[in-house]
Amino acid sequence: MASASMKAGQAAHRWPALAEAFAGEGRAWLFVFKTLLALYLAAWLAMWLRLEQPATAMITVGIVMHPHSGMVRAKSFYRAIGTLCGSTFGLALLCVFPQQRVLFLLSMSLWVGLCAGGATLYRNFMAYGFVLAGYTAAIVALPAIGNPLGVFDSALMRVSEVMLGLLVAGVVSDLVFPERLRLVLRQGAREHFAQFIDFVRGSTGGSIPRAEMEQAHLRFVRAAVQLENQRASVIFEDPEIRARSTRMRLLNQHNMAAATSFQSLHHLINRLQREHRDAEAAALIALYRPIGAALTTAPDELHDPAVLAPRLRECAQGLPALEAELRTGLAPGRAQLAFDTGATVLKRFLDELCGYVEVELALRARVQRGAVERVHFRRGNDATGAMVAVLRTFLTMATLSAFWIASGWTFGVSAMLLATVFSGLFAAMPNPLASAFTMLAGYAAGMLAGLVVAYALLPGSDGFVMLIAASLPLLLIGPWLNAHVQYSGIGGGFAIGIVYILALKNPMVYDPTHAFNDAIAQLAGVALAAVSFVFVPRVTGSGWQRRRQFRRLREQVVEAASAPLAGLPWRFESESRDLFHQAIVHTRPGSRASRELLAWALAVHESGRALIELRQQLRAGRFPVEVREAVDRAVQAVAQLYRHPDAVRRQQAEDLARTAIEACAATPALRPRLYQLLGALRDDESPLATWMPAGEPDRAA
Amino acid sequence: MPREIAIQGVLVPGLLPIFLGCLLLMVLVDLLIGRYGLYRYVWHPPLFRLALFACLFGLAGLLLLR
Repeated sequence: MASASMKAGQAAHRWPALAEAFAGEGRAWLFVFKTLLALYLAAWLAMWLRLEQPATAMITVGIVMHPHSGMVRAKSFYRAIGTLCGSTFGLALLCVFPQQRVLFLLSMSLWVGLCAGGATLYRNFMAYGFVLAGYTAAIVALPAIGNPLGVFDSALMRVSEVMLGLLVAGVVSDLVFPERLRLVLRQGAREHFAQFIDFVRGSTGGSIPRAEMEQAHLRFVRAAVQLENQRASVIFEDPEIRARSTRMRLLNQHNMAAATSFQSLHHLINRLQREHRDAEAAALIALYRPIGAALTTAPDELHDPAVLAPRLRECAQGLPALEAELRTGLAPGRAQLAFDTGATVLKRFLDELCGYVEVELALRARVQRGAVERVHFRRGNDATGAMVAVLRTFLTMATLSAFWIASGWTFGVSAMLLATVFSGLFAAMPNPLASAFTMLAGYAAGMLAGLVVAYALLPGSDGFVMLIAASLPLLLIGPWLNAHVQYSGIGGGFAIGIVYILALKNPMVYDPTHAFNDAIAQLAGVALAAVSFVFVPRVTGSGWQRRRQFRRLREQVVEAASAPLAGLPWRFESESRDLFHQAIVHTRPGSRASRELLAWALAVHESGRALIELRQQLRAGRFPVEVREAVDRAVQAVAQLYRHPDAVRRQQAEDLARTAIEACAATPALRPRLYQLLGALRDDESPLATWMPAGEPDRAA
Repeated sequence: MPREIAIQGVLVPGLLPIFLGCLLLMVLVDLLIGRYGLYRYVWHPPLFRLALFACLFGLAGLLLLR
């Protein structure tokens, strides 16, 4: 053992490229080994338990296996729920329409369509659960259509087989050389924390160019969404993460809030510098400097929250004194108002940064104490996109049903089944047409391999060991392809196709005619699912959906101006980021659409946040009626501007914001936020600048 | 505890509710252990969890079906 590892070490020195390749291949083969172990274990158990179709348990294993055990658990969890819902519905449907094939097939198509639509509303494996609920109903009810009395047994068998497959896959992936997603999550979270702290520290100079800010925003949004996605899977894998789950959500929210305040502050300083109001800008930068100093520690403690948290708190305590001192150095009126605005944003930012670092500190503690506020990462979903998915799947299924009824095709069931499975699975993919055809190719290859195994290698073999020997060489191709990202589309099809056509049973049934007919019908089903995307095109990533998401992103400001205030800040931060993230992944980096989207995202964050805080202040304090009305009008005008941006509305919003500032002369508490709003409306680098009259003299405040 | 329970005329093995109850119990135990970080004292946490579950289920099954 020791000499072997020494040899490997020497080899690594001699041929680093080779060692690297072997390291990657090693992980792939480990995955292949785990998958095959789970596959054969599931098959053996299913045969031992005398289940009807061990193949279903094997397919389940093939589908849920993933290199990371957290993913397997998450997928299994939703697959179990989907299977239970689907089989219950299939059972109910067959009980209601046992002799009405048209009504039965129509309702079945509608159910599958609705499930496919529901799947587009969720990310992660929740979507997968919906797809499963759709096609398990078909799997349970369709084969029993000729024999309605047997549907209960069929449902029971299907559920048992799927559950067995899930159990085996979960246990094997968790026990045998588990690869932990937790480590990926922890590393990602720490990296993100370090990057954010570095970014905040690095900008002590005060001003950051807009382009750099946009890139940083893009990076942080990506990290926020990715951390949330991983968290949703890891809670299934690791009890320690589950205990930290609420706190991790809170951490993400604090981070997003701090990032928004940070951007607002820098937009403000940048604007002041562009307008050559250097005294105010310099004062704000001086006020910011202590934060940078608090974050600058010994090199090995730079990202240690235990060191940073008390330093930041100390810095927050010293800030009001510094603020008062800097304020006296400025001319009263306009300059002081600008400074007050900046100081308000800065204090809020510091507060959020403290919260962020403290939650991170609590997360790194070994024992989790106390309860924390429950916050949710709200997703921005598109109901219209879901409706299109419902329509497409319904049409596919209805067409196939009609064809089945009209032609009296014996193997129509198989075609229906496969079309159900794949139209559901493809609906959630970014590029369904291409992935459908790779999947089809993989599926055909898998079936061919399955036929070779079933009719050339298996006959004559005796016992389970011989079965393994005969099927292993071709069966391992699927998981191997799956382990390599670039072939995973083909691999997925191959793994399902081979197990499907192999249809292992005890005792094995050999019926070539049946197998070939079945294979042709299944291929037709997959092909039809692919073709349906040509007629009712994909929604995800289309220009139409991007424009809609774009509008939804802008309407976040309307939401900020009108939605109930309870929990609104969290909702606003997460939903706007999720929408932005969904839209940006479908644009080419650096393209015009991508830049436009980024610019709008920054504007939406700044204005929306200012509106929410203004409304919170209005609600908390006692103000005269005319002040309230003036501020309300300004808030609504900004919301209108973001709903339908044009020159008239922009001018109107600006005028109303000015009126509100004048009306608030007696209530200085409201003025900084209004001033911030006005600044955002007048920002000549924001997308609103398109509608700004050129060369207008600055009359701010 | 009967070996089989009739739910709406469907016979369900008596072990099934016990299994589900043990799963629930396991989730609670997991939550507790996770909160206090006690899994760090275990060599192979998943194996430990599986074994713990097997013990719980076996014990409950044997006690109730005695």
